[in-house]
Amino acid sequence: MDTATTTCGATATPKDYSSALKPIWCPGCGDYGVLQALYRALAAIGRPPHEIAFISGIGCSSRIPGYTTAYGFNSVHGRALPIAQGVKLANPDLQVIVAGGDGDGFSIGGGHVAHAVRRNLDLTYLVMDNQVYGLTKGQLSPTSPKGLATVTSPLGSLEEPINPLLYTLAYGAGFVAQGTPAEMPGLTALIEQAIRYPGFAFVNIQSPCVTFGQEEQQMRAHKAHLRPLASLGHDPSDQLRALDLARSYGKELHTGVLYRNPNPPPTYDALVRERQRALAPEAKDRSRLLDVFLQK
Amino acid sequence: MVVDLVLGMAGSGGDGVVSAGESLLAAVSSHGYHAMMTKSFGPQIRGGESSCRVRVGTVPVHNPGGALDAAVALNWEDFLKFGAELELAPTTVLIHEAKAGPPPEALVRRGAMPTEVVAVPITELTNQSAGTEKAKTSVVLGLLCGWFGVPEDGVRRGLEKKFAKKGEGLLETNERALKAGIEHALANPLRSTKRLAPPPTHSPKLLCDGNDLCATAALFAGCKFFGGYPITPSTEVMQTLAKEIWKYGGTVLQAEDEIAGIGAALGASFAGLKSMTATSGPGMALKTEIMGLASIAELPLVILDVQRGGPATGLPTKSEQADLFQAAFSAHGDVLRPVLAPISVGDTFRVTVEAFNLAEHYQTPVIILSDQEVAQRKETVEPIDTSRFTIEERLAPSASDLVDYRRFRHTESGVSPISHPGLAGGSYLGAGIEHNEKGDPTASGAEHARMNEKRFKKLEPLQHRRDLFDVLGPSDAPFALISWGSSAGVAREAFELARAKGLAVKLLIPRLLYPIAVPVYREFLASVEAGLVVELSHQGQLHKILRMQLDLPAGLRSFCHSGATPFRPDQVLAELEALAAVGVK
Repeated sequence: MDTATTTCGATATPKDYSSALKPIWCPGCGDYGVLQALYRALAAIGRPPHEIAFISGIGCSSRIPGYTTAYGFNSVHGRALPIAQGVKLANPDLQVIVAGGDGDGFSIGGGHVAHAVRRNLDLTYLVMDNQVYGLTKGQLSPTSPKGLATVTSPLGSLEEPINPLLYTLAYGAGFVAQGTPAEMPGLTALIEQAIRYPGFAFVNIQSPCVTFGQEEQQMRAHKAHLRPLASLGHDPSDQLRALDLARSYGKELHTGVLYRNPNPPPTYDALVRERQRALAPEAKDRSRLLDVFLQK
Repeated sequence: MVVDLVLGMAGSGGDGVVSAGESLLAAVSSHGYHAMMTKSFGPQIRGGESSCRVRVGTVPVHNPGGALDAAVALNWEDFLKFGAELELAPTTVLIHEAKAGPPPEALVRRGAMPTEVVAVPITELTNQSAGTEKAKTSVVLGLLCGWFGVPEDGVRRGLEKKFAKKGEGLLETNERALKAGIEHALANPLRSTKRLAPPPTHSPKLLCDGNDLCATAALFAGCKFFGGYPITPSTEVMQTLAKEIWKYGGTVLQAEDEIAGIGAALGASFAGLKSMTATSGPGMALKTEIMGLASIAELPLVILDVQRGGPATGLPTKSEQADLFQAAFSAHGDVLRPVLAPISVGDTFRVTVEAFNLAEHYQTPVIILSDQEVAQRKETVEPIDTSRFTIEERLAPSASDLVDYRRFRHTESGVSPISHPGLAGGSYLGAGIEHNEKGDPTASGAEHARMNEKRFKKLEPLQHRRDLFDVLGPSDAPFALISWGSSAGVAREAFELARAKGLAVKLLIPRLLYPIAVPVYREFLASVEAGLVVELSHQGQLHKILRMQLDLPAGLRSFCHSGATPFRPDQVLAELEALAAVGVK
């Protein structure tokens, strides 16, 4: 089952990763930019599309695997992470990317995030965070700001939002970043770095919903309020500072790498493979498997 | 001499009656007897009361049997708690710890009191012979050897194995206790003469439980991934695989919940591996959405449901057959998925391998509907000739399939070649959303109808899998028994008893529970005027499904009761005889 790792190297172009399917997203949706950034990042890395497994849940953004030439799995709502872990453990040679929205990842699938982080498989998790449920037409999401009036919170929401950056950092994720399609070269670089990080890597992408999103969450506002972490002199190996910066999620639009573990520990999938190799000599012939139960 | 003996004992947690039962089981099985042991505990995690019953026969035993031939009570308080598991009859020899005093009023009031009640100073004998109370059950084993012909050298070898690692001293004290028990029995003969006949052969047997065999069969079938979450009474499958699967290049993922367990298992299948998950009723409910995903994405997956009493927490440590509706029907949308049920411990091997074969061949989730009794009772199994089994692999795309690859291509059989990540030219979008032949999402009703038809058509051959049914008895018999899962072994014995009494009865045991193999049932039922569908649930779920999908003979009715106590063969026989008496009028 092992797949030889080959690279297209310099020959790969973003087009190699673009499928014939036409996205169903609204004109102006931030996800178009995310898709372009992803094509560019994949081309820069150069793995052939068939060695990439791209797993998503349900939602506008979860349509994304179908727009690539990778093996895609547009699964059920909230379960992309468990499915992706099964894929990666089945074949650690694959490059496994997981994508979805804020509702998919932090509401219905929220219970899986902590476990994906602590297991630390070599996965890349891209969340297109638009603070609203777009596919179902404008309901409150787990990252909607408190007080937001939506069709399901017509009098304004009474809940604090989830903070995806603080959440993943607090569980010990080795790579946490935030980007926006309002700043494409930066987003492309973040996705590329996340894929190259050997372990669980999370990128929160502020991806505007043009149809149901708020004014201050649109591209124009992003461009105006962008606060690149590099411009703050942030050192991505400083985990405590990263936690501190993450607290301003929802208030400041920090972009860049919040935290990157300078000494990544071995991944779960690598440890699994090591254990399999160590124990392989103990394998019994299939015809002898029942001998352990034999009464003599 | 008897060819069949049912022994039961109860005591407090520290007495070790279950451990003694295991020694007894090992002793008789190493001598070539057929045997099985069921155990029952109080609700405590440690300590508390426990009981076990061991049925030994010179011929195959198909169920735990009826009333006990011999019962051992180490104290009355604990014994009384197992009224259902340790059923007494006037013919039972009731042996009790002398210092506990005569049978208490509460037991006498239940009726069916044994005529032979024997007080044995068990603790005193243990102290005198072994110098410690801890070897009590070895005295009990000695009594059973002396009075009922349990093979003494078998028990002795069992003690050697058990105490080998615990030091010479412990073995010696237990051997002295065993001897004391035997000598006491020989010095005080019983009125009853139930001595076990010698075994017909000394052929070696396997000794295991259904969960052990399920895990082993999964390895045999080539399972490389298990994703699951601990839940009684299925957890042992994950535990066994967690020890073994690595050697065969596989992995066990203990997931954060039931949904993640099946999600990871499905992901592994998408990536090309044979994969499974295991659970019980409550976990099945949580896994249902992803089972639907497996159906529409046409991915092979084996799901083990070890049934327990339900709904919700229900009777978590006890058996029931009330998840059949859930296994067959719990789905959103039009879904058909095979449901198989093992009828015994040994049968679990065959059924598990079959489940993997069906899953891979038809690219579908397959449910193994086991139950707590089959999964956790320990039983002798005739050696299994594994060379008889074929192992199926999913249909790989050919080079020409990979030119403009269509993952869900309409084929005559409905089965399409399936690629997996890593295979060049085979990229496609797996999806829970309806899709066209290529896998691209569609909202077309016509496309949806064609795909539904494909997903149903590919399972049509199951209608003709007669090999997944046991049919016994004369083909023209007017009376019938139909039973599945752990109840099938009871029906089997009732059938044999009825045949011995000259009743014109036949027996149908389906291993394939769903889809209903209509031709198989029609052929079986053609001659039937009356009969019973025997199953351990309040509703009689198989009977209801049969009524839904077949025109049943008016006299074929449900014989069912809630878990947890299994039917007794004599109950089924009596019901059948009553039915026959009316039927022949």
